[in-house]
Amino acid sequence: MQHYNFLLKYITYSCLSLGILISSASCEKVIDVKLNTSASKLVIEGMITDQLGVQTITVTESVPYTNSNVYPPVTGAQVVVTDDDNHTWTFTETKPGIYTYPSLKAETGHKYTMKVVAKNTTYTASSTMPSLVKLDTLSIKIITFGGDDIKTVEAHFRDPADQVNQYRWIMKVNGVQIKTVYADNDRLTNGNEVTETLFYDDDLNEKLKTGDVAEVEMQCIDKDVFTYWFTLSQQTDNGPGGGVTPGNPPSNISNNALGYFSVNTTNKKTLTVD
Amino acid sequence: MKQKSYPFLIFLLCLFSQAFSQQKFTISGTIRDAATGETLIGATVKIQNATQSFGTSCNAYGFYSLTGNSGDYDLIVSYTGYQSFSKKITLNAALKLNIDLGTNKADLNEVVITSRNRKNENVRSPQMGLDKLDMKSLDNLPVLFGEKDVLKTIQLLPGVKSGGEGNTGFFVRGGASDQNLILLDEAVVYNSSHLLGFFSTFNGDAIKDVSLYKGGMPAQYGGRLSSVLDVKMQDGNNKEFAAEGGIGLIASRIKVEGPIVKDKGSFMISARRTYIDLLLKASSDSSLNSNTLNFYDINAKLNYKFDDKNTLFVSGYFGQDNIGIKDLFANDWGNTTATIRLNHVFNDKLFSNTSVIYNKYHYAVELLDADNNARVTSMIRDYNVKEDLQYYSNKHIIRFGAQAIHHRIAPSDITTNGNSSFNPLAVENRYGLELAGYVSDEWTLTDKFNILYGVRLSGFSLLGPGTFNTYDSDGAVASAATAGKGKFFKTYIYPEPRFSASYSLTDETSLKASYNRNTQNIHILTNANTGSPTDQYVMSSNNIKPELADQVALGYFRNSKDNSFQFSGEVYYKWLQNQIDYKDGAELIANANVESELLYGTGRAYGMELYAKKTKGRLTGWISYTLSKTERKIEGINEGNYYNAKQDRTHDLALVGIYNFNPRWTFSANYIYSTGNAVTYPAGKYNVGGLTTYYYTERNANRMPYTSRLDLSATLKGKETKKYQSSWSFGVYNALNRKNPYSIAFRDKKNDPTQTEAVQTSLFGIIPSVTYNFKF
Repeated sequence: MQHYNFLLKYITYSCLSLGILISSASCEKVIDVKLNTSASKLVIEGMITDQLGVQTITVTESVPYTNSNVYPPVTGAQVVVTDDDNHTWTFTETKPGIYTYPSLKAETGHKYTMKVVAKNTTYTASSTMPSLVKLDTLSIKIITFGGDDIKTVEAHFRDPADQVNQYRWIMKVNGVQIKTVYADNDRLTNGNEVTETLFYDDDLNEKLKTGDVAEVEMQCIDKDVFTYWFTLSQQTDNGPGGGVTPGNPPSNISNNALGYFSVNTTNKKTLTVD
Repeated sequence: MKQKSYPFLIFLLCLFSQAFSQQKFTISGTIRDAATGETLIGATVKIQNATQSFGTSCNAYGFYSLTGNSGDYDLIVSYTGYQSFSKKITLNAALKLNIDLGTNKADLNEVVITSRNRKNENVRSPQMGLDKLDMKSLDNLPVLFGEKDVLKTIQLLPGVKSGGEGNTGFFVRGGASDQNLILLDEAVVYNSSHLLGFFSTFNGDAIKDVSLYKGGMPAQYGGRLSSVLDVKMQDGNNKEFAAEGGIGLIASRIKVEGPIVKDKGSFMISARRTYIDLLLKASSDSSLNSNTLNFYDINAKLNYKFDDKNTLFVSGYFGQDNIGIKDLFANDWGNTTATIRLNHVFNDKLFSNTSVIYNKYHYAVELLDADNNARVTSMIRDYNVKEDLQYYSNKHIIRFGAQAIHHRIAPSDITTNGNSSFNPLAVENRYGLELAGYVSDEWTLTDKFNILYGVRLSGFSLLGPGTFNTYDSDGAVASAATAGKGKFFKTYIYPEPRFSASYSLTDETSLKASYNRNTQNIHILTNANTGSPTDQYVMSSNNIKPELADQVALGYFRNSKDNSFQFSGEVYYKWLQNQIDYKDGAELIANANVESELLYGTGRAYGMELYAKKTKGRLTGWISYTLSKTERKIEGINEGNYYNAKQDRTHDLALVGIYNFNPRWTFSANYIYSTGNAVTYPAGKYNVGGLTTYYYTERNANRMPYTSRLDLSATLKGKETKKYQSSWSFGVYNALNRKNPYSIAFRDKKNDPTQTEAVQTSLFGIIPSVTYNFKF
């Protein structure tokens, strides 16, 4: 997982430079590792957007590392969302572990609280809807390196000068989500026309090529949710060649549940790579 | 502080001089190499007759002073690799004797791998935790790309752990990589790496002496918790002009030295540059030949002896790295140091050195694409004034002195052009003043019992101008205070006791013990595991307390077969306080409130180091083994419990062998084995945001696979003429082509996204190298 911010852009580039020195020699191989396995943990993923429609909160469980990526749903939970204006929305389980409310949108500046009762434990989390910052356009940047043209999607938007903003992006290429967490704030870019370069690792994802359709969703998120995604985005490889020691990102949900509850804007654009 | 320490010292001096009422006289002088005039650090001087003997070794400037009862003596001066010198002397008045030693031709074919101290010095001296590196041994050791490197060679010593493959970053006895005080001619080298750590800033050609203190830190050193790496440059040949150099696969170097005034003054200038990018430029691939990847550095030194009492040294280092990709990115960084020193011999017993030192580390990162352009610069700069005195009496060497360092840190300045996404920014500069005074006494209590004890009083003040915030638990600014220019905003004062002792069981065996306390007020903040060019420097402040370390060590030392074999075993335990780590998602770069991103805690480190050397004969070398544990306990990490520090490794083994096959061929090999680094592997996984996400339980509770590597080298000397010497060095790095782990990542399988896999990246497979060296 790698994400773009100032430092990581630097690291990406300096690794490319050093790549010349070591590319002939460095290599990757799949290894067996000894891992401790833990008991499964409750995972809640809740998101309420500013678009009127179905809103979804999923409740699942984690699995041991060695299992396949299939996560058992937690059924029979009570899921309720309230706001700071005394509204209450009770979600219903439409598929196992998936709790939905058919028609709801979150309003800017309002604080929403999620309450999930599952397996005799109550989990709560709150999140505040930030103001909308629109994704203006997408473009393609071409970096020529080592004989290859590396094509990268750039997202352009205008950051408002009078507020603190945090963003998250989700990119899909030909309908397949890119396995990278993108999160950034306006700490160094406040008030500017901002170009966010959405780098990704082509070890995990297909390289971008002519004719591909890239879809980028931009979300405006609150500070706690930003810290969650930013922490995840900073986590790189283990070991002396790696960076930040991995750990569980700080969740805004109580009682040690994994996951997050995010109330955020959403805004999508697509681009065909030429 | 300076004023405070002097009355105490005078008192001490009086005390000692009164203790010896017998008729005593002193012999003093300087020991030099007869051919080049280089002073011989650590050469042995001994006076003996039928009834008594006194001995000492030369200080860092080749000066010695010996005091004995009046009488007739044989004076013997020796230094490994040199013909020993002897002379009958009568000590009935103060004697002044400068001696030049000629090199021993017979010894030249032998490789000397240990410090050239007097016989059994390593056993007898109360100093422990000290390793000296002989620069000549470096010529024969195999290294990556054939570039001999001080910092990679010290990683083969017990108690010193490598920061990662090919990396010059190192960890000493459980300390972090920023807890090493790295000195080049007394100037601090903040970032000792070139090319992101694959090379060190120390050009072996220009280096005369390397000492690494892992424990029992002498009182004249301070400012870092874990080690002192004291590197001294060569003075330069004051007899005749000479040049030497080498042409390697990726770098070349040249050194020129000679007299300014014969026998009085000399100069030395040494330079090297890599040319990987010149090779790239020759490439027809336009994307390769537009990249930058190089470093160069220059060491220069001048010395001039005004008279027997006064010698001036001026030395400097300048190094610069440049990496970049055309139209995208550029990064340069480098150190600059300058040292002016005056040696003054007050009298035959009192030696003084006054130093004025400047050093600076800076980096600049530039993003060059129009939409995202920015230039970020950062630097740390010191002005340093130091006075060191050594007083030699019959049974004591008293060292005392004082030091003042003014620091300036410019954390981050961002400048931009046109319509950049980034805003210009200037993070407020920080100023600090470190003051220290010390006194220590190396006391030969009896023939068997030696002690070295002292104290260093360290003070640190954070100075204005500046705005100094405090932060609440969420990291928001809780209060702000300002201080005007030059105002002392926050001051910390710590006494640092230092003590070590040796007790000789026999002439060739001894037991030693030591205790020392160290403090540290300059801290590096980095997200990388070892040093990176963009490390952020911070000083102790109202938020950051000085780091503290207390270390105790016990040792057993044994020599045998006329010092041919030297063995030492040491155990240590270290307590660390006010250690720094980071909150989740910490943003360290260009952050005025970086201190709000920090977490604090304690640490402990303990271990055992075994070291066996064979120092003479056709086969020389050493075995070093370290068994150790290093833990941290930080509030807010790992639920506040102790966890393995990232540099924790249980076993480290190094074998080094140098075989002198015949006068022309020398073969060498080294083998290393170490337990894998402590890492955090996932215990489970789940899905958020459409991505496989890992669940972690305990920090650094897992181990990477072990590392092992065999390197080989062969040196062929060319036909030697009076005017010209040459040699070829052939090397094979990682001769067994083992895939050692550099990093491990967990990810979904590309072909089957329902499964995850662990992927290990390895850096260097087998790498051959060849270097041609010459000297005329």
